[in-house]
Amino acid sequence: MAQTPSLSDLSQVIRRLEAKSRAPAPFRRTGSLEDLLGGSVEETDKGQVLCVRRRFVAGHCHGRQPLDAARAMAPQPLALLARRGEPPKGPRLLYLDTETTGLAGGTGTYAFLVGVGFFDGDAFEVRQYFMRDLDDEPALLAALDPLLREVDGLVTYNGAGFDLPLLETRFVLARRRWPGAIPHLDLLPAARRLWSARLSDCRLVTVELHALGFERVGDLPGALIPSVYFEYLRRKAPGELPRVFEHNRHDVLSLAALTGWVADALDRAPVAELGPDELSGLGRLWELVDPDRGEACYRMALERGLDSPARERLLARLAWGEKRRARWEASHTLWEAAARGGRGFDPRPWEEMAKIHEHRLRDFARAHSVVTEALERARLHRASEIVLSALVYRLERLTRRLGGLAAGS
Amino acid sequence: MPLQDVLDELLTSSRTGPLITAVRHFEARPAVYAPFPSSLDPRLVEALRGRGIQQLYSHQARAFETVAKGQHLVVVTPTASGKTLCYNLPVLQALVQQPESRVLYLFPTKALAQDQLAELTELAKSLPDMRMYTYDGDTPQDARRSVRARANLVLTNPDMLHSGILPHHTKWVNLFQNLRYVVIDELHAYRGVFGSHLANVLRRLTRICRHYGSAPQFIMASATIANPRELAERLTGESVSEVGESGAPTGEKLFLCYNPPVINPELGIRAPYLGEAAGLAIRFLKEKVATIVFCQSRLSTEVVLASVKQGVEDRTGDAGIVRGYRGGYLPLRRREVEQGLRSGEVLGVVATSALELGIDIGHLDAAVLAGYPGTIASMWQQAGRAGRRSGGSVAVMVATSAPMDQYLATHPDYLFGAPPEHARVNPENPFILVNHLKCAAFELPFATAETFGGEVQAHLQALEAEGLLHRAGQQFHWTSETYPADHVSLRTVTSDNFLVIDTTARDEKQIKRRQIIAEVDWKSAFAMVYPKAIYMVEGEPFEVQELSYREDEEKVAYVKKVVVDYFTDAISAKGVWILQRFSRQETPGLVAEQGEVLVAEKVVGFKKIKMGTLENVGAGEVELPQQEMQTTAAWLTVAPALLAEISSHRDELVDGLRALTRLLHSLAPIFLLCDIRDIGAWLGDGSPYAEGKVVTREIMRAQLVQGDEFTPTIYLYDNQPGGIGLAERIFEVLPDLLARGLEVLQTCACPAGCPSCVGPVNEVGRRAKPIALALLQRLVARR
Repeated sequence: MAQTPSLSDLSQVIRRLEAKSRAPAPFRRTGSLEDLLGGSVEETDKGQVLCVRRRFVAGHCHGRQPLDAARAMAPQPLALLARRGEPPKGPRLLYLDTETTGLAGGTGTYAFLVGVGFFDGDAFEVRQYFMRDLDDEPALLAALDPLLREVDGLVTYNGAGFDLPLLETRFVLARRRWPGAIPHLDLLPAARRLWSARLSDCRLVTVELHALGFERVGDLPGALIPSVYFEYLRRKAPGELPRVFEHNRHDVLSLAALTGWVADALDRAPVAELGPDELSGLGRLWELVDPDRGEACYRMALERGLDSPARERLLARLAWGEKRRARWEASHTLWEAAARGGRGFDPRPWEEMAKIHEHRLRDFARAHSVVTEALERARLHRASEIVLSALVYRLERLTRRLGGLAAGS
Repeated sequence: MPLQDVLDELLTSSRTGPLITAVRHFEARPAVYAPFPSSLDPRLVEALRGRGIQQLYSHQARAFETVAKGQHLVVVTPTASGKTLCYNLPVLQALVQQPESRVLYLFPTKALAQDQLAELTELAKSLPDMRMYTYDGDTPQDARRSVRARANLVLTNPDMLHSGILPHHTKWVNLFQNLRYVVIDELHAYRGVFGSHLANVLRRLTRICRHYGSAPQFIMASATIANPRELAERLTGESVSEVGESGAPTGEKLFLCYNPPVINPELGIRAPYLGEAAGLAIRFLKEKVATIVFCQSRLSTEVVLASVKQGVEDRTGDAGIVRGYRGGYLPLRRREVEQGLRSGEVLGVVATSALELGIDIGHLDAAVLAGYPGTIASMWQQAGRAGRRSGGSVAVMVATSAPMDQYLATHPDYLFGAPPEHARVNPENPFILVNHLKCAAFELPFATAETFGGEVQAHLQALEAEGLLHRAGQQFHWTSETYPADHVSLRTVTSDNFLVIDTTARDEKQIKRRQIIAEVDWKSAFAMVYPKAIYMVEGEPFEVQELSYREDEEKVAYVKKVVVDYFTDAISAKGVWILQRFSRQETPGLVAEQGEVLVAEKVVGFKKIKMGTLENVGAGEVELPQQEMQTTAAWLTVAPALLAEISSHRDELVDGLRALTRLLHSLAPIFLLCDIRDIGAWLGDGSPYAEGKVVTREIMRAQLVQGDEFTPTIYLYDNQPGGIGLAERIFEVLPDLLARGLEVLQTCACPAGCPSCVGPVNEVGRRAKPIALALLQRLVARR
C-alpha cells in the first residue's frame, strides 16, 4: 500500500492486534509526589531521582523476628547460602528487591523501583529509588551504582533468576559498567529446601508469614504492580503508588529478617524447637559442606516425626550415606524402613536391599525373598510394566544363581 | 551406460514416447577458474589446499573481491555451484586476521544451519581459535550462556534472531559491538510474508548494531530468481552488488517433460501423475541410476515412496535403497540418508522440496519432479539436484492436470525460456510493520524523529494512543508487561494460530494426554477445521469435534481419529468490496483497477466427498463467525457492450466469467513467486463497501443474473491481511496474463472444459469454455 495510512487506520490495526483499549482518565494532581511518598528528590551526576528513606532500630521486630539477627551472622552459614559457594568477604550486605514493569525480562522490562536495605551503625536503613518517568533511569542507576560497589555481598529472593540479570541489562543499556562478580546470597533455594514440603508455595509473602509471623494487611498483589506504574505514567496521578512502595519496603525488611532466621537456624542446627521439615531442609544445606552435621539434622528430623513421603525420602538419603561409608547393615536397616513405610510402592529401596544381600552379604536366598516380596507389593500397587519387568528380571537372575549354587554344591 | 539405456527406451517406446512433450539438451560446461586472491590469508590457502581445492571458481573469486571492497553482496548461482565458499572465505579471512570480529549466519531452517556448521568446521579445522556454534531453539540452556560468551561465529535462523537474540541484546554485547558480517543464505526463501517479516527483523538488527557502534556487511546467496538484487536491497535497506555467472562446471543434462496420458477423453481426465512419476523412478532405479523424486506435499511423498519401494521390491520399511527425506527429520536421520547416497547403499530419495535438503546430499543422476513445483525458479532448483560435475544426468517433469502444469508441458519454449519469477515483499504491510515496531521499541526506546525503513511517526503515535508506548524525554518507551516478540510469528501476518489437538491420543500408560498434532493459521482455520471437518495429518484422517476461538483464550480445534471413506470440502459465502482505488487502466472493452478491498468470508457448510469416485455423498451445516480482511487487489470489469456482443444471456456470461476468473487465478503464479493459495479470486459485482452481505457462489451467480444492473467484476486479491505486493504485480502484468489465458483455451483439446483449463465441465457448465474463449479473443486482440 503506497499511501501513508491515517492515524485512525493504524489505530484500527493496532486494536485488532491488541484486543484491548484504554481510555485515558482526566489529569489530577494534589501536592508533590515526593511529599506524598515521604521522600525527596536527590541529585546524581545523571540527573534527579526520587528516593524514600526509612530508618529502623536494629532490634526492630519484623513479625516475631528481630532484624539484627542478620547483622551478626556467622560466616559458615552465610557460605551455605551463597550462590556458587562464593561467600561475601565481609559483613556489609545489601538486601535488594526490585519492582518492575513485567516479568518478561529482556531489554523492554524496566526496574522502576529499586529497594535496598543495609545496617548502618545501630540502625537498619531502607532506601527506595524510584523513576518518576522513564527518562529518570540514568539517575536511578547512578544512585544505585556506588551502593553496589561498596558492599561485600548482595542478598535477594530469587535475584539470581530475575532481579540481578534485569539490573545488569539496565546497566548495559545505559552504557554503564555493571559491577560484575558481587558475591550473591539468594534465599529462595534455601527457602525451598526448608519449606516447600510444608507450605503451599515459597513466595516471600507465604514464607514470611510462616517463619517470621509477619502478616501483611491490605498488601497490593505483585501482579498488579506493573499496571499501577503504567497508570501513574499515563495519568501523572499517583494512584496506588504508595502501596507499591509499602509492598517493596516489606519485601526488603522480610528479606533481612528471613536471612537472620535462616542463618541462625543453620548455626544452631540441629535443635529440637525446629520443625521436622525445617530440620530436613537444614540437613540438605549442611550436607553439602559437613555431611555429619547434615546427618545429625536428618536424624533429629526423623525423631521429631516427619510425614510420608518426606520420611521415606530422608531414610533413603541416610541409607545412601551409610552405603557410601560401606556400612551395609546400617544401610540395609534404613532401606528397609524406607521400603516398608509410606503408602505407595517405590521399587528403589527394595532393589537396594536385594543388592546388599546379593553382592555384599552374599546371601542369595535372602535376596530372593526380598525381591519376591517386592514383586508382590508391586503387583498389588499396580506398578508400571517397566518396574515389574525389572523386578522379574532380577528375580530370575537370583533364581538362576540359587539354582547354580544348589547344582554346584 | 544404464542411464542412456533408460532414456532411449523412454523416448522410443510406443507407450511413453508420445507422452514426452519436450526434450531439451544442455551442453556440458567446463569450469572457469580464478587463482586465489592475493590478499587471501596463507592459512586459509593451506586449509583449502588441504581440502583438495587448488584454485577458485571465477564467481567465488569475484565474491571475495567484492566483499573486500566493503560492499554488500548477493551471489546468484544455481544449485550446488560452490556458493558457500563465496561467503565462507571472506568470513574466515576476517576471523583469522581480526580475531575480535564477530559474524552472524542466518538460515531459514535449523537443519540447514546444522549442515553449514559441519561444512565450516571441516574447512576451518586447521585454523586457530574458531569458535563456531549454532544458537537456536534446540540449543540447551546451559550451552546458550557459553555460546554468548565465547562464539565468534553464530549460526541461527530468523525466528531465533527475532524472539531469542534481539530482545536480549544486552547479553550479546560482544557480538553486536564487533559484528563484521551478516551472512544470509537461501535469500529467495525470504519472499511474501516471511520476507516482509525478515526485512523488519533486519531493520531491528541494524538499529541495535548502530546502538553498539557497528555496521556489518551483508553477504547473501540466492537461487536464480528474476530480481535477486532488488530483493536483497528491499530486505536490507542497503545498496547491494550482485555476482552471478557461475564458474562451476556442469555435466551434460537432459530435461524432459512428461504428460500423463488421457484416459477419459470426454471429461479430459488423465492418468494420475503420482503413479506415472513413481513408475519413472522405478525404471531408473532398476538400472541402478541414483534418483531423487520431488513431491509437492508430505502425503504425496508417502504415496510415491510406498509405490517406489514396492516397485523395486525394497521391503525394508524406513530403511533400504529408497528413502524418504522430509523437513522435520532429525539430523541423525538425514546424515544416514546422505551417507547412504554417497556409499551407494541408498539409491533413491523421495523428498518434498529442494530447500529442505542439506547441502551434502550430493548429486544424483536423475531427478523426477512429480508436478510443477509452482515456480520456474523452484523447477530449476529441483532439476539441478541431478547432475554430477561430469557425466550425463536427466531431469523429468511429470505434469499434473492443473492448468499451469498443462500449459508448461505443452509450451516447451515458454518453459525453457521463461525467466524465473520476481520475489515480492512488502515490509510496509501495516500489520507486520506495527508488530515489529513494538518489538523494536521493546529492544531500544525510539527517538521521536527516528525512522524505521521509512517514516513511522504516525505509527508511533498510534501505539502511544493505545498505551503501548509512553513518551518520556525525547523517546518513546515500551510500557507493557508483555513480550511482543512472543506474539509475532514470522510465517503469518497476524499470529493467531489454531492448535489442532487430538483428544484420542494416549501415551504408553494409556493415560489421556493433550497431543498437539498440527497448527493452522487463523486465516485458513475456519475453512479447514470447522466442526465435523475431516482434517488430514500425515495421511491420517481426523474429525473435528469442536472449535474453540474465544477472544482471550488459546484457539483450539479438538479432533479425534476416525476411519472414513470420504473427505470434506468447505462451502463458504464470500464478499469482496472495494475500499479504495489506487490505479486505473482503461483499454477497449476492459477496465482494470488496483487498490484496497475488504474480503469477507464465512464458512456456511460443507460437502462430503467420497474418496476415489469423488461423488457427493452428503453435506452439513456450519455456524461460524464471519472473517474480514483488508488487503490489496486487482480487479477487472468487462465493458457491457463487449459482453452484449458475445451473448444476450446473462447466465452463460456469468459462467464464462467465472471460468475466466478461475483460469486467471491458476495462471497468475507464472508471474509471481508465490503459491496459488497466496492469491484469492472471486467473481463479484463491483460494488463499493457498504455493509454487504456474504453470499455463496450459487447465490452470487443468481444475483448477477437477476440484478437490475449487470456489472460482473473479477477480483484477484492478496490472500494475506494488508497485502504482500502480489496484487500490484498482477495489475502490472494483466495484459500478459490475459494473453496466456487465451493460449491455454485455444490449445486445450477438451471439448467443453476440463481440470486443465476452465475446470471440469460438470462443475462449470457447458458454455463456460466457449464464452471465456470468446471474451479473451476480444480482450487480447484489442490490445
